[in-house]
Amino acid sequence: MKVFRAFEYRRGTTILHRVDPRSKLVYLILFTVLTVYFTRLLALLLVFLSFLPMVYIGKISARWKQSLRGSLFFIVFIFIFNFIPTAYLSGNIYGAAISAIAMSLRFLNLISVFSIFFLTTSPEDLTQSMVQLKIPYDYALTFNMAMRFVPTLSREAQYIMDAQRSRGLEMEKGNFISRIRNYIPVLIPLIISSFRRAELVADAMESRAFGASKKRTSLYILKMGRRDLLFITVALASSLALFAVNLFL
Amino acid sequence: MIRIECVTYSYSEGISALDGVDLEIGDSELLAIVGENGAGKTTLVKHLNGLLKPQHGRVLVEGIDTRETTVATLARKVGLVFQNPDHMLFAETVEKELAFALTNFGVPPEEIAKKVEWALIEFSLSNYRDRSPFTLSGGEKKRVSLASVLCYGPKIIVLDEPTTGQDNLQKTRLASTLTRLNRQGETVIVVTHDIEFVADFIPRVVVMSKGRVIADGPTEEILVRKDIMDASSILPPQLAELSWEIGLNTPSINTAMIVEEIRHMLGRTNK
Ligand SMILES: Nc1ncnc2c1ncn2[C@@H]1O[C@H](COP(=O)(O)OP(=O)(O)OP(=O)(O)O)[C@@H](O)[C@H]1O
Ligand SMILES: [Mg+2]
Repeated sequence: MKVFRAFEYRRGTTILHRVDPRSKLVYLILFTVLTVYFTRLLALLLVFLSFLPMVYIGKISARWKQSLRGSLFFIVFIFIFNFIPTAYLSGNIYGAAISAIAMSLRFLNLISVFSIFFLTTSPEDLTQSMVQLKIPYDYALTFNMAMRFVPTLSREAQYIMDAQRSRGLEMEKGNFISRIRNYIPVLIPLIISSFRRAELVADAMESRAFGASKKRTSLYILKMGRRDLLFITVALASSLALFAVNLFL
Repeated sequence: MIRIECVTYSYSEGISALDGVDLEIGDSELLAIVGENGAGKTTLVKHLNGLLKPQHGRVLVEGIDTRETTVATLARKVGLVFQNPDHMLFAETVEKELAFALTNFGVPPEEIAKKVEWALIEFSLSNYRDRSPFTLSGGEKKRVSLASVLCYGPKIIVLDEPTTGQDNLQKTRLASTLTRLNRQGETVIVVTHDIEFVADFIPRVVVMSKGRVIADGPTEEILVRKDIMDASSILPPQLAELSWEIGLNTPSINTAMIVEEIRHMLGRTNK
């Protein structure tokens, strides 16, 4: 569950924190596309390396590492499920290993780029920027609230696990199938309480007159500045460079 | 026998939830832990079955250090029921919910049936046997969560706020169940804000405040101490307040004793 905590925004003053969310959105999209488009291990590795300066500039290395550690389980999972079938079908163990590592690295890259984005972007700014991008306020708010409830959900999952372990549930017991089944007593209360919470929040919002006025105004308006121009230029240039390198690899 | 020795615990750097707690709980005791919101009561009881391990100090349950064993092993001895039943309930029917812990502990089916039957009756849930736990009222869910732990017969029972949302009848029933189990030799620990419940049914009380134990002793002595009640934001029992108001020499939470004391005072002034 630590993997969620690694996406929680913390206030900060670095340039990465101050760049407009829309500029960071450009960065997010560019690097997500690159990661999905690249297939070669070396190219994916270069993308991964390009995150290091970002993490350093944004002073988020501790949380970023946490997010990587938290996704270790999935990475092992992805590796195994790519390696075994490919090795079995092609008989080429070395090739299968390389492509399985590439797949795992791709996942790592996605986690990294999203974690860089969310760790440095405040939810309020994100909502505001979505509104300024002409996304209807209802959708922007829904998105914001979904993000807002991730930590709540992870804490709730912890409480539920505590309660079920107190009744003798052993999560790590048994073979692969029964381990998955062990999650049922945790997932059901979690899902039900999430639905209930959603209902409660909706009721609470309506009783405070959400949606009463058709036209909303904002206290703060986000403005793009020179900083953003610089940021977008660097993002574009580096992704073009990566793209070119990939062509000639 | 539980020994808690100088236990400290903090969830995040710098803010300590437990700040050096010492406590000894003998076999077949019946005691309450009270204290303000955030005093550390829930944190403390999570140490009793090893869900949390002390960062300093140690917790011994029947001689076993909780750091050297698993929650699953300790849970057989220590039955912990949490504040919020919604964190527990997941089964299709109340009956299956009650059987969950028993199945986890590998109890044979005939015995499971017997124990579930006992719990259904003990917690007045027989009518709800086939109902989904999610369709029950708040108080009923709470009872299912209590029953689902008490049914496997742990030697040490720990209840976090068992009386919330219970009407008076259910409270009295709960008290008599707990008293009876206690008489049969079980240790019962109740965390609660319901001070009248403590005054009426529980002989020993531990008062916590800001991560420490600030008082520990017989209920009738602790609950009449105004300084302790104030320090831990407890609404004192009405009888204690009455005793203070009248200015009794020995404030009490026992009606008979107060009456006796008043008689005594009146007798004196009449002379
Ligand atoms: N999961 C958690 N993460 C971080 N801090 C926590 C967590 N649980 C409790 N705390 C903090 O630890 C302290 C003690 O909390 P605890 O839940 O033990 O109090 P309590 O005595 O049970 O209170 P209440 O009467 O409200 O149930 C509080 O300051 C609380 O904010
Ligand atoms: Mg509590």
